[in-house]
Parts: sequence; C-alpha cells; structure tokens
Amino acid sequence: MSRRIVLTSAVVAGMWLVAMPAGRAPSAADVFVATTEAAENADGAMCMMPGGDASGDDQQIAIPTRSDAERGDLPPVRMVVDPYPSFNGVAVDATNDLVMMSDTNRKSLLIYDRAAGSATSKQAAMAKQQIMGPDTGVGFVAGVAMDPAHRELFTVNNDVEDRLVVFDYDARGNVTPKRLLYVPHQSWGIAFAPRRGVMALSVQTPNMYVVFGREATKFDAPIRSVRGPKTAMADPHGIYFDETHNEVVVANHGNFRPGELITSYTAYDARESRQERSGNAFDESARGRFVPSSITVYDGDATGDVAPLRAIQGPTSQIDWPMGVAVDEINNEIVVANNGDNSILIFPRTANGDMQPRRVIRGPLTGIKGPMGVAIAKDEIWVANFGDHTALVFPRLAGGNVAPRRILRNAPAGKETSGFGNPYAVAYDTKRREVLVPN
Amino acid sequence: MTHLSRTTHGIAYDATNDEIVAPNPLAAAIVTFRGGATGEEAPTRTIQGARTGLSRPETVAVDEKNNELFVGDPGDRRVLVYKRDADGDAKPVRTIQGPKTKLLQVVGIAVDPKRDVLVVSTYSRLPGGVTGLLMFGRTDQGDVAPRRVIAGPKSGITRLRQIALDPETGAIYAAVINNEYLPPYDIDHPRRGLDPGVELPSPWNTGTEGFIGVWDDEKDDGDAPPRSIIKGRSTGIVHPAGVTFNARDGEVIAPDAVWNGLFTFLKPELFAQPGLPERGRNEIPVR
Repeated sequence: MSRRIVLTSAVVAGMWLVAMPAGRAPSAADVFVATTEAAENADGAMCMMPGGDASGDDQQIAIPTRSDAERGDLPPVRMVVDPYPSFNGVAVDATNDLVMMSDTNRKSLLIYDRAAGSATSKQAAMAKQQIMGPDTGVGFVAGVAMDPAHRELFTVNNDVEDRLVVFDYDARGNVTPKRLLYVPHQSWGIAFAPRRGVMALSVQTPNMYVVFGREATKFDAPIRSVRGPKTAMADPHGIYFDETHNEVVVANHGNFRPGELITSYTAYDARESRQERSGNAFDESARGRFVPSSITVYDGDATGDVAPLRAIQGPTSQIDWPMGVAVDEINNEIVVANNGDNSILIFPRTANGDMQPRRVIRGPLTGIKGPMGVAIAKDEIWVANFGDHTALVFPRLAGGNVAPRRILRNAPAGKETSGFGNPYAVAYDTKRREVLVPN
Repeated sequence: MTHLSRTTHGIAYDATNDEIVAPNPLAAAIVTFRGGATGEEAPTRTIQGARTGLSRPETVAVDEKNNELFVGDPGDRRVLVYKRDADGDAKPVRTIQGPKTKLLQVVGIAVDPKRDVLVVSTYSRLPGGVTGLLMFGRTDQGDVAPRRVIAGPKSGITRLRQIALDPETGAIYAAVINNEYLPPYDIDHPRRGLDPGVELPSPWNTGTEGFIGVWDDEKDDGDAPPRSIIKGRSTGIVHPAGVTFNARDGEVIAPDAVWNGLFTFLKPELFAQPGLPERGRNEIPVR
C-alpha cells in the first residue's frame, strides 16, 4: 500500500475546462478525452499533498484556499489524475514486428514498433497507433492479444465494462470495435490459440477460465470452461495457451472462495445471492481462505472440474501475486510477471511443486516496478511495467540485477504514476493527513 | 503477504487505534494493518473462517467509541458486527439479515456513535428492492426493518457505492455513482432473456451523471433531496465510486472510476468549525 500520494494540480483541471467545446454540455467521453489531452500538454505537473512527504523534486503548486459554487458545480481544489498511459497487458506480433499494450489508466490500446525504445532515451516513445475514445469500448482493460493471420487486435475489460473488443490491425482513434463479446465479470487475461481458433479468458471471482471461439460475438456462450475445486485456481489472472504442448498455464493470486460462495458472474446484480439461488439451505461454514500464489497447468482440452497437470507453488518458488504469464514454447520455459516482489521469474516449462526458478530478473538495475504483462518473442522478454510508465525488454537469458536492453516509455522519464486501477473506495488518515485509496 | 486483493471496494481508517481496515471479497476476509503500513507488509489481524459469516465483504466501518467493526456483505445480504479487535475465525457479535432489512447489494456502511445510527448503502434491480440509504439503530440485529430509508427520484440516487459519516454533524456523504450495471452472466446462456440485438451500456455512456450527495443521518427520510451536492461539469467527476472527508480542512474527497483519479473539493460549510459552537446536523444546509 503506497504511502505516497501524488497530486496533479488544479491548474491542469482548469486547462481542460477551457478546452471543451462551447455551447453544449460535454459527455463523459468528451470530458475524459479533452482532459487527457490537456493534461498531457501541461506535462503532467505534479504536487505533493500538504503535510505529506515532500521529498524529491516534485514541483510545488499553489493550491487555492477555497472553492465554492452554488448547486455544487464546483471545481476541485486538487486532483490526482495521471495524464499518461499505464501499461498492463502486452502482446508481440513477431511476424510484423509490432507490440501492443493495454493502457488501464487512460483507457486505450497502444501499438508500437517492436524495436521501439532504447536503453538511454528519457523521452516517451511515439506509438504507431492509439485506440481510445467513447466508441471503442476500451475501459478498464487488462489482457491483450494480436492475430497477425486475421489482422485483428483483442483486448478484454477486467471490470465495469464486462466485454472483450476486437479491432482491425490498422484501427486508430475513436473507432467502433469490429466485434464485441460480452464476457464474465472480472475476466482478466487472454490466451490466444491461433491454430485452434480459440481464446481462453481467466476470470477472477469464479476461479475459472472460459474458452471462446475466435470469432465469438455478442452473447455467444463459451465453448467450455474449467472451474471447480479440483482445478486449484484461486483468483486467476495471467493465462497462456501453449499450443505446442497442448497446455493452458494460469497464474493465481491465491484468494479463494468455494464454489458455494460464487453466486454470480457479475458483481453488479443483486439477483444472484445465495438466498435467491438456494433459499436458506446453504452451508454456513463454507467460507474463504488464502492459499499460496501459484502457477497451474492444465491439459489444453480440459473441461469442467479437473485437476491441474502441474502446479508451481510454495516459498521456494517465490511466486507472489503473479500477473501475466507466458510460455517460451521453443526453449521450454515459463515466464512470470511476479508483481508481489517486482521481479520476473523464469521456470522450466515442466516445473512442478515448490521449485526454485531457473532465473530471476530482480533488482534496482532492472527497473521492474509493478510488472503486469509479460510476453516472449524473438529471444526477448517484454515486461509491461505498471508502476513506472515503461515497458522493459530483456534478452531471453537475462537473470539477476541487470539493466533492460531497451526501455519503451509512455511518459518522460521520472514521471510518477498514481498507481490507480479503477479506484472504488477511499479513506482519510487524519494522523498522517494522507488519503488511502485501495485498488 | 498483505492478503489484499486487486478487488477492494471498501476501506476505513481507525484514528483512535491508528489502523487501516480493508475487506478482501475474493477470499472472504477482513484485514487490518497498522496505520503506517507500507510495502508488502502483513496484516496485524485477519478475520476469516467458517464462524465469521463472511461471504463477499465489500465495505467496512469502525466504531471507535464502542470498539466495534461493521462489515457490509452482499454475498449473503447482511451486515456483520465484530469486536473491533476480532481476529481469526471470529463470530460476529451481531448480524442484521432478512427480508425486513431490505439489504441487497450492500456496498457502503457507516456508523454514527453519537446518535447511535448505522447507515447502509444498498442497491437492487429486484422488483420492490431498494436503491438508497438505510438507517438502522447502531445495535439493531436480526431481521429488523430500517428505521428510515432515503430513496426515490428526488434523492437523485439511481445507483450508489461507498458512504462516509461525520459524527460531529451527522452528515452522511454518499458516492452516488449512477452508472448502469449489467444483467447477470449465466455461463451457459450469457445474458439470457435479452434481445439479441440489444446494446448494453458502454463504459463511456453509462446513464445519468453521478455526484456526491450529503444527507442528515437523523432528519432525512424518504425521497429526500441531498442537502448539499457536488455535481456538474466543473467538478470533473462523472461516476464517483467512493467518498471520504477531511473535516479539519473542510474537504470532501472522491475517487472517480471513469477518470481513474481522485478529486478533492473544499466544502468547509459542511463541517464543525473549530472555535465555534459545535456545528450540529441541523445546520447542514439545504442546497
């Protein structure tokens, strides 16, 4: 839980207000896009909350002493809005030398040349394309996939929007998706299997993954699902379909509730309580528990409540809040974005049990901070770095405390991130005069 | 190690004991940290287990005066009350649950120990279900009807989330998010019963504009408009999901899900003024 609260100034807020078209009420989308653009133009000026940790070289900006207005339409005296993207999912198209990343913060998809970025540049890299706007259906996005054969781009919304959207390869701007598929609430990762023509999505709350046809649309149902107590899934996030070895690899955070408590695949509906499903005839002792974070591996054709073929789990494995996961199908390795300790873990593909990673990329030289997505292509490991406005590229065999080969920045070096991921609650610490925001 | 989840829809700060309390809905747990916790730090206490009654805890509040912890749990449509320092597989000391309670999708909870009022925000799309604020007695338990309900078109509430309460004034601060929500997803028949051609609301076009509304925890009842409101183009907020306040500096603070940001507003007139007679709830201005 970060103790540091970074505030973007009210000066920025003023800029976007004057940027709005005159004569009509702005939609949420108008305001959002205009604000993002204006804030970026303002270079993301930051200030620290009064009384907070003022260390560092953040610019101090005068804060108005009072704001008030009739009928409540008053400007904020401070706001924390990070004007830059925050990378989440990452996918590489080695055929066309492209890389795509989802941007949770500004709600967009960004496509770059695969060779973009450098070891030394302090400036943001120029994206080839950005898909963003009210018509796109891109919101609190997480997993991504690229399909060079059909020239299609996929991303799934993790929360709120409950939909997967598909775009043409050359889509940019505020475009309507080519296809839209409604998916279970809290879908997070996409595992694309081009030879099979399917995609598997991990779903957090019900501890499952679901498999859809590549062209599934609208209300199409999954072809199959893997769910139930034997699966040992617990708050799954990253997912990878290894077509070479016919296996599906899943990264689990370790938050577990039994199936009896899984009352709905959407959090937004009150119809699906246990009382409604089974009256009052339910087991009061069926409750949640924590299990160690894990990587679980399933047969590629698995369906229903099946045990994993293998599971990497335990203190020796060092797995801690694993987010993205990828398989190097050629060199037989599993790569894990280990969010809990800011590292990348590399295991033999057939690792099982409480096994030590073969290599660990970790340390201050690596620049790894809040890793979310991971991908492997052309002997390189890509890391979508949620905590530092960067994506990092390491040689495939990198290990230890090593600098990345390339850094792809989505903001000038040194710009801090708010770390927000769809904030839904807040508290005020009166002792430290700090604002607490869970994600 | 923190035992937090990426899905955390509630949080409370206990100033008396300098602790942070948060629910983990995905593991049916309540975790408590020391106030200065940082990094990957383990909780000092965790409520979890067969006796706890926790199913999908969404929201928490601490009654620092009476040393109790209140939890709103929509999984079983109930409010659970624990001793403040409960730990492990602890039984609740009280539970509010049942058809009379009108509790459904419980997403916000706050307690006023001065007036012995418990406030719960809940929403529902069920016929006859309430979307609004329910006021119970602080020590109510069982299948008990709320003493008052704030809901209806004049309230402006079509969907709401977190609430906060200032015991100095009796003011309830509600994050009235007012976005649309989606029908349930049946894995075998997704969105069963919907017209195949229907367009479900996009994240960018989610119904009516949200706001932060302020009500009185004793005087307001029924279809009551907010006594104060933060809403509109100048505010920047679109669908606020959370709310808290900094009484000392007269600030109302709200995160916004659309913006992925945090907004602070100056509203000193809502708070008790130092050096002046206590600002009572009767002085919460009507907008």
